[in-house]
Amino acid sequence: MKKLKILGFLVAGLLISGIVGAQGATVLYNERVIEVANTLPDATDLWVAPEDLTRINDFVLKPEGACLDALCIPVLQDRDSEMFVRRSGQDWFNVTVLADKLQQAHVTDYEDGIWSFGVMPLERTPFLKGGVAPDFELADRDGKLVKLSDFRGKKVLLLTWASW
Amino acid sequence: MPVWQAIYEELKTNDFEIISVAQDSGGEAAAGPIFDAANVSYTAIIDVNHHISALYNLVNVPSGVWIDEEGRVVRINEGTYAKNHGSFGTDEYAPIVRDWAINGANSPYVWDKDQVLGHIFQRTEDAERAQPAFLLGTHYFTHENEEKAEYYWTTAQELDPDSWNYLRQDLLYEEGGSAGPEWRARRTAEEGRGETYYAPLEIEEQANR
Repeated sequence: MKKLKILGFLVAGLLISGIVGAQGATVLYNERVIEVANTLPDATDLWVAPEDLTRINDFVLKPEGACLDALCIPVLQDRDSEMFVRRSGQDWFNVTVLADKLQQAHVTDYEDGIWSFGVMPLERTPFLKGGVAPDFELADRDGKLVKLSDFRGKKVLLLTWASW
Repeated sequence: MPVWQAIYEELKTNDFEIISVAQDSGGEAAAGPIFDAANVSYTAIIDVNHHISALYNLVNVPSGVWIDEEGRVVRINEGTYAKNHGSFGTDEYAPIVRDWAINGANSPYVWDKDQVLGHIFQRTEDAERAQPAFLLGTHYFTHENEEKAEYYWTTAQELDPDSWNYLRQDLLYEEGGSAGPEWRARRTAEEGRGETYYAPLEIEEQANR
């Protein structure tokens, strides 16, 4: 019993010091469901390791910032900043602050640690301002991925319906 | 669906494709049999998260988007039924689809960019937040947590009250169903405000083509 208690203190201590981010999270991002094994515990925000950031939304943490293709959001990394902290040699990135900067909607079930993100407004602009068809990648009924942009050169009738 | 299947079989060699996307959180069990019954050979997708409606700002079904060879939207409509079913539906839409599949950019039913932009449903900032809420609800629905599914689906409806899809998907699992008293009351109220359940198809030939 005593041993267990000590172990418990040890784990709590590690959690507080950020050595072990034992709190996992599930992230819903478009059609992706990403299980993140470790996060930096935080009451309101989602902090993940840089490699998990990329698994979630394809952003890559580089010296110049968090980057997706040509887009780079500056991130201070030589000290703690709103999107970046280092705890015991482990880097953590704040996905929710990045989403807020991108004006990307997100909804969280804190009880279960599930974070759901909307589409980035930046990605919406070509459609809303230019009439460019938003690309998508969805599995068909046979499990084969269907990507709209693979149909370039064809006229595509996109129909929605429902059984209800 | 037999109407679309016939048009597809006739014109698929004319660089024409149909992508039919069921907005059904019930997945294969809900929408699969309908695809099967129609024996469709075009692309069939069951979109449990209503991802396509979220991406294209569609609020109702059926909806139809024409996408040209360069990936531009050239027409966007709701109420795009294959045929008239009596109490609902229309025989007007399928013929213009066929015309476009044959004539492409020369079809008189193709819209220019400004017309397309004018027909994209305008969403409020709140409505943009409805998508991640609905996604979360569907995640719980899929994992059989009805209480939380209901909570987040309801949140999505509150954030995006213009979406008939979010409303009816949820009503399907409640007493009365997706086309029951609550849906009828909401529809009657909307029509009472002088609005239409489906935006008009606006099938007029463009003169200057």
